[in-house]
Amino acid sequence: MPEMETSPLSLIYDGSFEGFLCAVFEAFERRTIPQALVPASRPSQLLIGEQIEVETHPNRAERVRNGIIQRSSHRNASLVHVAFLSELPGVELLLLRYLVKLFNDPNGRYWQNMLDDEVFELVQIARKVKKEVHRFHGFVRFQETADGMFFAPIDPDHNIIRLLARHFRARFSGQQWIIYDTKRNYGIYYDLHTVQEVVLQNHRIDFNAGNVASEVKALDEDFYSRLWKEYYDAVNILERQNHKQMTNLMPRRYWKYLPEKNQAGKLK
Amino acid sequence: MKEQVLKKLQVLADAAKYDVSCSSSGSTRPAQDGALGNAARAGVCHSFTQDGRCISLLKILYTNYCIYDCAYCINRRSNDLPRASFSVDELVDLTLSFYRRNYIEGLFLSSGVVVSPDHTMERLIAVARKLRSEHHFNGYIHMKAIPGSSAELVAEAGLWADRLSVNIEIPSENNLKLLAPEKDFSSVLSPMNQIHQGIELNKEERRKYRKAPRFAPAGQSTQLIVGASPESDFDILRLASGFYKQQNLKRVYYSGFVPVNPGDSRLPAIQKPPLVRENRLYQADWLMRFYQFRFDEILDDRHSFLDPNLDPKLAWALRNPSFFPVDLNAAPYEMILRVPGIGVRSAKLIIANRRFGSITFSHLKRMGVALNRARYFITCRELPLHLRDIDPVYLRRKLSPSVNPKVVQLNLFEHA
Repeated sequence: MPEMETSPLSLIYDGSFEGFLCAVFEAFERRTIPQALVPASRPSQLLIGEQIEVETHPNRAERVRNGIIQRSSHRNASLVHVAFLSELPGVELLLLRYLVKLFNDPNGRYWQNMLDDEVFELVQIARKVKKEVHRFHGFVRFQETADGMFFAPIDPDHNIIRLLARHFRARFSGQQWIIYDTKRNYGIYYDLHTVQEVVLQNHRIDFNAGNVASEVKALDEDFYSRLWKEYYDAVNILERQNHKQMTNLMPRRYWKYLPEKNQAGKLK
Repeated sequence: MKEQVLKKLQVLADAAKYDVSCSSSGSTRPAQDGALGNAARAGVCHSFTQDGRCISLLKILYTNYCIYDCAYCINRRSNDLPRASFSVDELVDLTLSFYRRNYIEGLFLSSGVVVSPDHTMERLIAVARKLRSEHHFNGYIHMKAIPGSSAELVAEAGLWADRLSVNIEIPSENNLKLLAPEKDFSSVLSPMNQIHQGIELNKEERRKYRKAPRFAPAGQSTQLIVGASPESDFDILRLASGFYKQQNLKRVYYSGFVPVNPGDSRLPAIQKPPLVRENRLYQADWLMRFYQFRFDEILDDRHSFLDPNLDPKLAWALRNPSFFPVDLNAAPYEMILRVPGIGVRSAKLIIANRRFGSITFSHLKRMGVALNRARYFITCRELPLHLRDIDPVYLRRKLSPSVNPKVVQLNLFEHA
């Protein structure tokens, strides 16, 4: 494969992973590493030079994805996806540089070489995202509604909500639930059969407090969340107080939707 | 009715909190479609207490009434405190409601001993049985095997629970007798051995019949209290090492003695729990479980207490300069594991990546190696800072945490 040259071109994609893969396709076709690769939702005034909006074609995305799998593995292809979902600024260009090396590697071992800068950074970013996924396996808090739906608001740093589906589908297959990203305004909904993405229109939910409106809340809901708070307070051992460790493990930015932590003024 | 449950929860969660085990890992209890819950191999922490411990399970007592009068225990018979007992249904409802809201990973059920060990064990089993067979609950269940309860009951408990544990509490028989006159080692060791046999037998059975019901699939653990009695760290690690080898325990938990019963003359008069000592014991325990250290390498007759100022791996390295330097580009995994500042993850990374080229300091740094410690014990391509060229006494001072009066923890029994 010929060398890729850097150019003052900017590629704009639709923000989806498929769209990103199509932008990668575009870059390969043009044999160029653009100076910017950004989603349309995050336009930048600083872009100079030519700007190209890349169209999303599912079959092109599929070709790139298959290419990644062929040159590495299924697991590595999902790692690329996971790192993409970090939404860290510049992650798209990092992934592009990584993919250029991956596609140019003659012996198919490149992706395992953590001594390489791009591989190393990609793995670090994916680790960060997966760490947050793991945290939210624990930090999701459902509230039951009067019609037996379980609703949980979250606002994670990374765009992880799709990565939560499998865990919660397996664990709570007998109840309907929604996990909703209030920052990115979409969620996943399980209807006792499948999980699908949803955007809520009719807001019976106060996204700031994360509460389901009281007229649609299940009768026992407040009782159980109060029990949980009491439990949380009761298990604390005063003599062992270690606030620093607690906030390391459960950073304050996650407290908003945790009933045991979010009461106003409760900053013990 | 609701207010009553709330009060019981406060009393019985408060009374259960001194059991430090929190793990919900090591079991894979698969989900069934339409049923509630599963258990994840890695375990999930759902919250963290103000003291920084993880909350993954609803850790609760069935009752805090107790016929025993153990000196170290808040729930002992002679204490005047609010007492309560849950009903089986209340505990089942609490567990399910918390679980459905994703507050918890499962249930940790313990109890004071009422009427008799068997009677108490039966109540605990009733809760787990109801959760599993009536409500198809597949979440994690950790149950206490009550010391002194009969073999049949322990056998049944293992069918419903993921993990069973019997607490040894005091690390030597003499002191256990002194502090808990109604208990002895055999009342703890016999259920422990029985659980161990049950697990081994079950493995055998499942090799023959894949569908044989599982017995305590997440294994068993125990807890001992550190600093309520005068045993040395050496004694404690020897005991723990025996548990890992002979009873194949998954975990030994070390609980720094919290003076809940001030005024009992059998106990040391301390103000604060020995948290530094507890931490060093956990570090030493990790060395035994994940770093292939034997207990008598970590400590010996001359050094019977862990150094509060040095982590035990570093202390071992300073006592064994001839082992170093370790060449990271050539040494086997087991040797790399012994380098202070290199953990299991970075040791594996080093092994996996050195086939791509020489590992350098900058690689090590981004792998997460603590170079400030490791650099004295390794060679890679950069110049070796050989331990033998440096005075271990100097290194010890340099690598100890800055002199902090809070770290110095006098051991009451050390010179007793």
